[in-house]
Amino acid sequence: MKSRLAHTRSRGRVGASIVVAGVLALGLAACSGGSSSSSGLDGNTLKMYTWIGGKADKQQWSDYIAGGKHADPKMAVSFTGPPIGDYYTKLPTVMKGSSAPCLVTFQNGRVNQYVQGLEPLDALAKKNKLDLSVYSSAMLEQLSVDGKLYSIPFNAGPTVMFYNKKIFKDAGVAEPTNSWTTDDFIAAAKATTKDGVYGFAIPQGSNPISTLMAADGYPWADKNGARFDDPHFREALQLLVDLSNKYKVAKPLEAAAGGTFPDIDAFSTGQSAMEMQGLWDLQHEQQALGKDNVGIAVIPSKSGTSKGFIGGSGFGITKTCGDKQKAFKAIEAMTSKDGLEFVTKSQASVPARLDALGAWSTNAGSAEFATVIKQMTGDAVPSPVPSNQAQIDTLLTQYEVNAFSGKSTVAEVLQQVKAGLAQ
Amino acid sequence: MTFVRLDSAEDKISDRAVAPQGPSKGRARRRPLGGPRWVGWAFVLPGLIGLAVFIVIPQLASLILGFSNSTLLGGTQFTGTENFLRLLRDPQFLNSVVVTAIFVLIYVPANIAISMAMALWLKTRLAGRNWLRVIFLIPALSPMVANAAVFRLLFQQDGVVNQALTGIGLRPIPWLSDGNWALAIVIGVSVWQSFGYNMIVLGAGIDSISPDVIAASRIDGAGRIRRFFSITMPLVSPALFFTTVLTVIGAWQTFAQAYVITGGGPGNSTMTIMLYLYQTAFTNNQLGYASAIATVLFVIIAIFTLFQLWGQRKWVHYD
Repeated sequence: MKSRLAHTRSRGRVGASIVVAGVLALGLAACSGGSSSSSGLDGNTLKMYTWIGGKADKQQWSDYIAGGKHADPKMAVSFTGPPIGDYYTKLPTVMKGSSAPCLVTFQNGRVNQYVQGLEPLDALAKKNKLDLSVYSSAMLEQLSVDGKLYSIPFNAGPTVMFYNKKIFKDAGVAEPTNSWTTDDFIAAAKATTKDGVYGFAIPQGSNPISTLMAADGYPWADKNGARFDDPHFREALQLLVDLSNKYKVAKPLEAAAGGTFPDIDAFSTGQSAMEMQGLWDLQHEQQALGKDNVGIAVIPSKSGTSKGFIGGSGFGITKTCGDKQKAFKAIEAMTSKDGLEFVTKSQASVPARLDALGAWSTNAGSAEFATVIKQMTGDAVPSPVPSNQAQIDTLLTQYEVNAFSGKSTVAEVLQQVKAGLAQ
Repeated sequence: MTFVRLDSAEDKISDRAVAPQGPSKGRARRRPLGGPRWVGWAFVLPGLIGLAVFIVIPQLASLILGFSNSTLLGGTQFTGTENFLRLLRDPQFLNSVVVTAIFVLIYVPANIAISMAMALWLKTRLAGRNWLRVIFLIPALSPMVANAAVFRLLFQQDGVVNQALTGIGLRPIPWLSDGNWALAIVIGVSVWQSFGYNMIVLGAGIDSISPDVIAASRIDGAGRIRRFFSITMPLVSPALFFTTVLTVIGAWQTFAQAYVITGGGPGNSTMTIMLYLYQTAFTNNQLGYASAIATVLFVIIAIFTLFQLWGQRKWVHYD
């Protein structure tokens, strides 16, 4: 009896062990990714993971896919993804997961942090004889890490100054020219600040700093990361603080969650006369304020000869993609001259290829806009994107508020950000 | 709602209701309903799988990752106790512990006091009190992110609150520009969001008090205050203990409010441990270090919970 009971207990333990092992294996299998010939594909359709914040984003990706199909009818791409605020946070997990996509997208050249999960595209470009010289060299440099290209650009997003033509007209202020200076900008902001409307809406994070520095010809980062000790970095942040505290032409920045755009909200609702944003925002602003009411100008500079800061977006291929050649052909189709010209019929975002700019000028923009874009993309300041860009943006967004509230100086804020990065 | 002391519940169930009498008592204890042993496992297995996949495996993985240098897309190198030693000299982490401790110290008493006050108020013969209970519960039922986004709009520089203050001749308050005010907003929103749930639990505890006991105390001459401290509080103490334990655990884990309203700023004045953990893992891409933070947070919560369990013997009355 005793031995039968012991035997039963032993079998029970074995059974329990099998159950526990099975459960652990199930959990581990669920957590681990893998690669096979079908990874990242749904039948013949390539899966793409990208940012989708609403109907406008959905339409944008549908249009790029339609453009790709226009160039290559065999191409098939489907897409899913979260809003931009969550995109870069979720991207590594998705790339590592068992259902990783073949294609991913990057904005403002932010490939650096994700290269471990990305396929270098140089060999595929050579194999498929893709002429890379048709893209802005500054943009290709942004999308490369250690000399390897990880993303092919589809739109060129130079940061420009958007202005509300009606507010300028009502204030009796002349519209900006492509040779306006920082002093001209401050004067225009002062003149348009009245009746609850501010002249300018300050963006959060590093983008306004890098854009102002680039306008004067200084890169905000180098291979060692952000140039916090560069006096021009400090001057750029000081100018933003002064616009609020000294000139009283902008609302001070407040504590805010990352991935939010209070400056865009202010401009698109007519609460500010100017905003400094990437051209990807053009269509949204035209829809909000009226197509003829939105003007764009170069970023003001001290000398009046402004240079551009490029933040182009591109497609990349994941390392786990089961058919990288097919994925590259899809990218080639979506970024082809035919494909991007097709997209200009419905999207205002500026094509990454310089040879498609004519179609954009006719379909989505204007000759006036094209002049601004040519100046901003043609003479752009090459600027590498630091691998800790997201961390820099988060820390700047947190700490720069203290400069606007007067609790810290700009120099102290930059020290605090540096200290945060050092942890 | 009736609260039963867990360690005595088993005895009560087995002695009075389930266990049959006679020599087969021991065997019947293991299988009170009869039938083969696998039936029991079949009932337990779905829950066990869920527990293993969603709780045990991630916690074990997190514990192990805490001893490594790991990134989301890169490899993992074992680094021993380096991450835990780094935590001790990381001013950002130490600040997040202080911020969260301040949050716990203010949020928990405020939440429990308001919940109790509201539960007592709704115990009175108030017209439409059931509707009021539902209304006060709505914030707890609605998503925290949505609530926090609305509060952000209310408290921004030119938001409704500052416009109202200006309207009555007061100066606007830098709610989201000043660290102390920002933390106060995060605490206030958290209390507003969660007191409804505790109010329902405490209200159920108050409702379960026998009217005879209250009547007897009145006959004995006990006034309102005496009745509250000598009758209501002891009898509602199991519910109070339950809500306090859960509220303390939730307070140490607070995340969404600071994430949506302030992003941890201005500076790091609203940087809670969970928000710092999130930023470390998903913004800074330091999975190993973030796992070490998670382990330390787990230990902090475990210590507080065990302390509360130990302390309950002195103030919680189950009879």
